[in-house]
Amino acid sequence: MQTPSIDLAPGVFSGLKVIEMGSGAAGPVATRYLAEQGATVIRIESSKRPDFLRVLWLTPDSKHGLEGSPMFAMLNPGKHSVAFDLKQPRGVAVAKRLVEWADVLCENFAPGPMERFGMSWPALREINPRLVMASGCLFGQTGPHRGYPGFGAQGSALSGFNHLTGWPDRASTGPSGTITDSLAPRYVALAIVGALIERERTGRGQYIDLAQVETAVYSTSDVMLRYFANGEVVTRDGNRNPHAAPHGAFPCAGQDRWIAIACGNEAEWAALRRAMGDPDWCSDPKFGSIEGRKANEDELEQQLGAWTSGFEPHALMETLQAAGVPAGAVQDFEALQHDPQLAARRHFQLREHPALGPLQLEHAGFRLSDSPPDYATPGPVLGAHTSWVLRDVLGLSEDEIASLEADEVLV
Amino acid sequence: MLQGIRILDLTDESGFLAGKALGDMGADVIKLEPPAGDPARRAPYLGEIEDPERSLLWLAMNTSKRGITLDLGHARGAELFGELVAGADVVLETSRPGELDERGIGWESLHAAHPRLVWCSITPFGRTGPYATYRGGDLVCVAMGGNQQVTGWHDRAPIACSMPTAYYHGGPEAALGVAMALFARLSTGRGQLVDVSLQETQLQTSLSGPAQYALDPSRNAERRRPGDRMGLSREIWKTADGYVSYGLRGGASRIPNLVALTKWMVECGEAPDWLRDYDWSRYNHNLLDREGFRPFEEAFGAFFEKRSMRELYANAVERRFFLAPCNDAREIAEHVQLRSRDFFTTVEYDWLDLALEHPRGFAHASEDGIGIRRRAPRIGEHDGEVYGELGVAAERLASLRREGVVRDADA
Repeated sequence: MQTPSIDLAPGVFSGLKVIEMGSGAAGPVATRYLAEQGATVIRIESSKRPDFLRVLWLTPDSKHGLEGSPMFAMLNPGKHSVAFDLKQPRGVAVAKRLVEWADVLCENFAPGPMERFGMSWPALREINPRLVMASGCLFGQTGPHRGYPGFGAQGSALSGFNHLTGWPDRASTGPSGTITDSLAPRYVALAIVGALIERERTGRGQYIDLAQVETAVYSTSDVMLRYFANGEVVTRDGNRNPHAAPHGAFPCAGQDRWIAIACGNEAEWAALRRAMGDPDWCSDPKFGSIEGRKANEDELEQQLGAWTSGFEPHALMETLQAAGVPAGAVQDFEALQHDPQLAARRHFQLREHPALGPLQLEHAGFRLSDSPPDYATPGPVLGAHTSWVLRDVLGLSEDEIASLEADEVLV
Repeated sequence: MLQGIRILDLTDESGFLAGKALGDMGADVIKLEPPAGDPARRAPYLGEIEDPERSLLWLAMNTSKRGITLDLGHARGAELFGELVAGADVVLETSRPGELDERGIGWESLHAAHPRLVWCSITPFGRTGPYATYRGGDLVCVAMGGNQQVTGWHDRAPIACSMPTAYYHGGPEAALGVAMALFARLSTGRGQLVDVSLQETQLQTSLSGPAQYALDPSRNAERRRPGDRMGLSREIWKTADGYVSYGLRGGASRIPNLVALTKWMVECGEAPDWLRDYDWSRYNHNLLDREGFRPFEEAFGAFFEKRSMRELYANAVERRFFLAPCNDAREIAEHVQLRSRDFFTTVEYDWLDLALEHPRGFAHASEDGIGIRRRAPRIGEHDGEVYGELGVAAERLASLRREGVVRDADA
């Protein structure tokens, strides 16, 4: 098989063949982990119903149309794109040909479209018994709310993360970003890799039905057990933590600059006292134990904040870390651009996008010692690899391709 | 999926979820803890009875694991750990980089002798780079990962979720890295190091926000201002009895939901005249400024405030608009969709003569289930069993117990 004009990096998944259907983050970020390690990932898309990330910031003056979304390009690096109109039977027929070729199919539509396409698991298993298929919609493939439509914001609300994020005296703010969109893809990818490992043993593929909301609630198993065991309803409490004090973000010099400090034990509190030069207020016995600091937390935070506000956050982080205090600058996106740690670990990889220029592509949160991550390209131009897939992957004749084009199936 | 894979889990609470997820996939996960019990066996306790065996954090996050005790700081403990490693496929650990190698029991010391070993290290910033040895709990990782600065209210300090989201993301990320390394080993025969950085894992919650900032500095997201309903990606609205999430974004995939909600408001006679006749097909949220959103916010806000979360959500499900209740643990526990999917499972606590519900697993798999295999272990529960499997003679085990290297239940 010829790869298209790009060279794929060798990786854990070199040679693995993946089809992606769906949109947004929950599915596409999962297959990004595979693409980052060398899998050939082919997105089945259509300009008739583009990935919503391609149009999220689209206005009538947008210069690059469906290719102008940095978020799409950044969440889909290293992937290929074919344009098949699945509303047409011939579009579905070529998609099914691709299923014969594939090891993995990952989709995150709300339940319905795959069945309408005739591409539900029972049908695809007949075509390819070695296929690993993962569905990753918001609420799962079964149950009375299976048809409930939603995006990450709904997932964050349903799974409790909104309730758990904010100040106790105000409406929840919810976590920035959408928690199910960042939690669910890890579990989708984990289940896929687990199924691939099992396939080596059994020779059979399998079906994964994953609900984004369930991955988020599963992650908070401790919150749920506190309810089931004790009837406790855990709620939001700003930055505070029942087992640590001080534990919060404290003001620094400059506008809206902050440092996070978290003393989880007496040794860390003692280290913080030393770093501050042991001011008089610290030696008040009421701050001498975790219970005392919790009971007097408003005053503790006020005193500590008065001290931190004289420092620049990164300089203070260095001082406190050297003293043995867990502390970190509250970094904004600008600070992340200059973060020496991320740079040293090459968290971002620069690749040229045909419309947007050089883009920073983000790597997984881990490094494998034998397989450094690599993306050959940013997210693909819609349909950029249609002819490569039809000719080289599926071996269609020029006549067949011309006929599909004439019938406007490849759009 | 992972039957036959033996994992030694040395993690503290920052890594519990990794082994839990792998254990739910069928791996034989053996949790190591000090002979006195793990420090994470802390409050809150089941029935509020202070007892390390009743720690709800422990019971929730160490399911599907067996448990043994071992003092790794003792020379004989380190020796025995080396024997355990010889029979293991994976080690999971959360110690500071270099700490285990100082005692000759880290990755650097052991991997040459055990070439098939997969070693997963979960640390705040990863094992390389200038911050490699910096301290950081969950809060510091969230701060340094860019999520805290954009979470919360503009007039107060930036905040993090009240539960540890860096750990919640790091767990499945580490499990995924391990699964990838195990998959790679099927063809290479070699293990490798999986070096997880919680900071990097947390960075991804911003779904490419930091990288987008490099293209467009106006995308340095801000925390919300009081009175705002529009956030970067989430909108939280007051209802008669709580909060719901509802977005005002357009685009082809979302406009039908705006139409559906408007239709309901019209049926209730609560849509203002302008909204009744509004042509949603021309709606583009990207062309609206704060003032432009105001009439929508006022109309929807007034409608939501008169209704309960339950009524709003029931209609969202039936009429298919993207509204979700900001659920707490009780509402999640009672959720009809989760219940219908058997998302909760009952775990027996034989020695307490009771049973508790837990989230069952992160996905449904067709071939081999993903989900809780066993309750969390009591302190040293499987010492005899596991050391027996290892071939440790009864006399030697007795001597290790006498020396306090392994828990002596009679001491």
